[in-house]
Amino acid sequence: MTGIHPALAIWLMLAGPIWAGIGAWGLPRVYRRKGLDDSRARLVGGLGGLTMGPLMVVPLWLLTPELKAWYWAGIPGMLAALQLYALFAAMDPKNLCVTNPQYVANQLSSGLTIGFIYALMAVGLTLIYSVQGIISFAHGQFYMLGGYISYDFLVLVGDVNPIVGVPVAGLVTMLIGFVFERLFLRPMHLGHVERTGEYAILITFGFGFFLQYTVLAAVGPFSQKAKPYLGMGSVQIGPLNLIPNRLVAAAIGVVLIVVLLYVLNRTWLGKALRAVSMDKQAAAVVGINPLTMNTLAFGIGTMLAGMSGAALIPVFTWVPWVGGPAATRSYVIIVLGGMGSVPGALVGGLIIGLVEAMGSGCYPDPSKGAAYKTAFGLIIFAIMLLLRPTGLFGREL
Amino acid sequence: MSDHPVRAHRRITLPLKQARVQRWVGVAVLVTLLLLSPLYLNQSPYQMGVVTGAFFYAILASSWSLLAGVAGQFSFAHMALAGIGAYSAGLLGRDLGTSPLTGIIAGTLAAGFVGLVIGLLCLRLRAAYLALFTIAFSEIVRIILLTEFQYTEGTNGLQLAPLYEGITPLAEYYVTLGLLLVSMAVMYWISSSRFGLFLRAMREDQEAAAAMGVNVVRYKVLIFVVTSLIVGLAGAVFYHQVRIITPNTMEILQMSLIIAMAVIGGMESLLGAAIGAFLSRISLELLREINILGIHIELGAWRYAAFGLLLMFTLRFAQNGLLYPIIDRLFMRRVREETVSARAQTAEVEP
Repeated sequence: MTGIHPALAIWLMLAGPIWAGIGAWGLPRVYRRKGLDDSRARLVGGLGGLTMGPLMVVPLWLLTPELKAWYWAGIPGMLAALQLYALFAAMDPKNLCVTNPQYVANQLSSGLTIGFIYALMAVGLTLIYSVQGIISFAHGQFYMLGGYISYDFLVLVGDVNPIVGVPVAGLVTMLIGFVFERLFLRPMHLGHVERTGEYAILITFGFGFFLQYTVLAAVGPFSQKAKPYLGMGSVQIGPLNLIPNRLVAAAIGVVLIVVLLYVLNRTWLGKALRAVSMDKQAAAVVGINPLTMNTLAFGIGTMLAGMSGAALIPVFTWVPWVGGPAATRSYVIIVLGGMGSVPGALVGGLIIGLVEAMGSGCYPDPSKGAAYKTAFGLIIFAIMLLLRPTGLFGREL
Repeated sequence: MSDHPVRAHRRITLPLKQARVQRWVGVAVLVTLLLLSPLYLNQSPYQMGVVTGAFFYAILASSWSLLAGVAGQFSFAHMALAGIGAYSAGLLGRDLGTSPLTGIIAGTLAAGFVGLVIGLLCLRLRAAYLALFTIAFSEIVRIILLTEFQYTEGTNGLQLAPLYEGITPLAEYYVTLGLLLVSMAVMYWISSSRFGLFLRAMREDQEAAAAMGVNVVRYKVLIFVVTSLIVGLAGAVFYHQVRIITPNTMEILQMSLIIAMAVIGGMESLLGAAIGAFLSRISLELLREINILGIHIELGAWRYAAFGLLLMFTLRFAQNGLLYPIIDRLFMRRVREETVSARAQTAEVEP
């Protein structure tokens, strides 16, 4: 035990969660009793209780300030990350995370890089949700499919940079998305199906199942990898050890997100999509066909999933079941950022990228850190669902 | 309900009591067939294993249909709960040397407790969020079991003792069949009791049900606990027969197989889901490789792809499932029409 007092560790392990429970359970009730807006009270109470215990919960309880500003949840959130870091450091003082600042910087930069691709995929999912009001449970399979389409295209064409595969994969996955939407989701919007909520979950899930096993049957359970964008190896810039191959993937993500934001905010199509997501009837009145927009949104969403798959196949090894964890990660991101919010998905993607990189890099037992990579995001996800299901940037339900 | 009172009148061919007798005869025939069928199989361990596995899937699918179809709670945590049951039983047996029976009881209770916690945490979550939460939950459980290999053996899988020394495949068949019949009976009793009515009311409209005096919180949590207990018990018993459990049995794709089976059978009908799961499991196994006109084809993953297509078209064009309408025709319709028309008649008499 160097550097950290044992009392702090005990606090973090036991008292923190108890105060978090008190804050998350009690504060919304206090706010409601006083007739105040309680939408953020659960999140702030939970996080504040976890990190500062009575120091945060008691003043909030007595003073009930308005919790609109970002720092009410932001500062306890960062404190929680720091305390977790301290706990990890206490459990394993010889961890690279504690002894080697360069390692930490590298983990941070690689987390941010990969975060952009995570964000790209999640933006697709959030776009589908904002226009159609459904969550596509086939999103991970579109991502997986995008990777394979790009791979097969590159094998077919021969000697080109793998970046060429990205638009091809996007086009094909978009067409598949259009066809699926037209055949199976439009009847739902037309009222030809009972219990639309359950139908939407099951039909997208069923399509994911179908895609998953079709690809598995077609390519077999072998791992594949496209050749890298820019050769292997790494570049040393200052204290950072950067991998150009990953940077290209991240750059693709950034470019595509910028293009998407431009389309959403500056073109007629984007305005129409946003109009439908706000109010279907009103959009129809001003001459936008909501059904067409539904199809377009779904196609664009699946295209983004396919493109992020295609952007990552030169970086990661590809197997037919990569879709599952990737989809789970996208759910984490959109719930964290707020369902239906594009900026939320962007921020959520970066947060999850960082959390996964730091979590897996700093976990006391390095051999297990990598295996727990997805679990860190999932824990944040579970906490977020319980404390504030509308997410950081979400519209109020 | 009484859109066509005249037609309903004409179709009363059997008195209510006789229709009920017919239903019980149907159930008795089904049970007898299942009890006697080992006599006609060649009782090879492989064949019995497939059928026993199909019973296990039938329990999972029908309990999922109780949770999702009847109560409207879209949980993806079923496989994880079965795994929790099996792992608790296996770990107790290995590390503390308890008998399989103690392990099974402990595993069932562990799964029930986890179900209680999930139920309490998910009270406020609506359909899609609940699905996401339970997916995340089962992934966390799977990852933990996979990673903490010094306790759980990781990907190698945890060895479980047999139920008793020298158990035969035939005995395992009857044990699982008994489990299936008992759990079906319990679930049917639940779904046809007031509790079942409350669940359906909550599924259709939670606020309206609450306004009518249904204690939504209590029944939501209760249904999670009940199905988790059933699933945990089934998992613990079944994996004591398989003798090994790996974390990969808890993958979301395994869970989706169960959901697909339940939907194809008929999501809102416990019997439909059970028969659907049983038949799908057996046919998936039979289709492993086929011979058409002397051409040998290995279907491999293609049969699952076709299964996925079947699931989608069932959802789109036969939302009640493929088997439920048949079951309904055979056993239920006359009973229901009798009750409906009897009520319609009394309603007509009243001013």
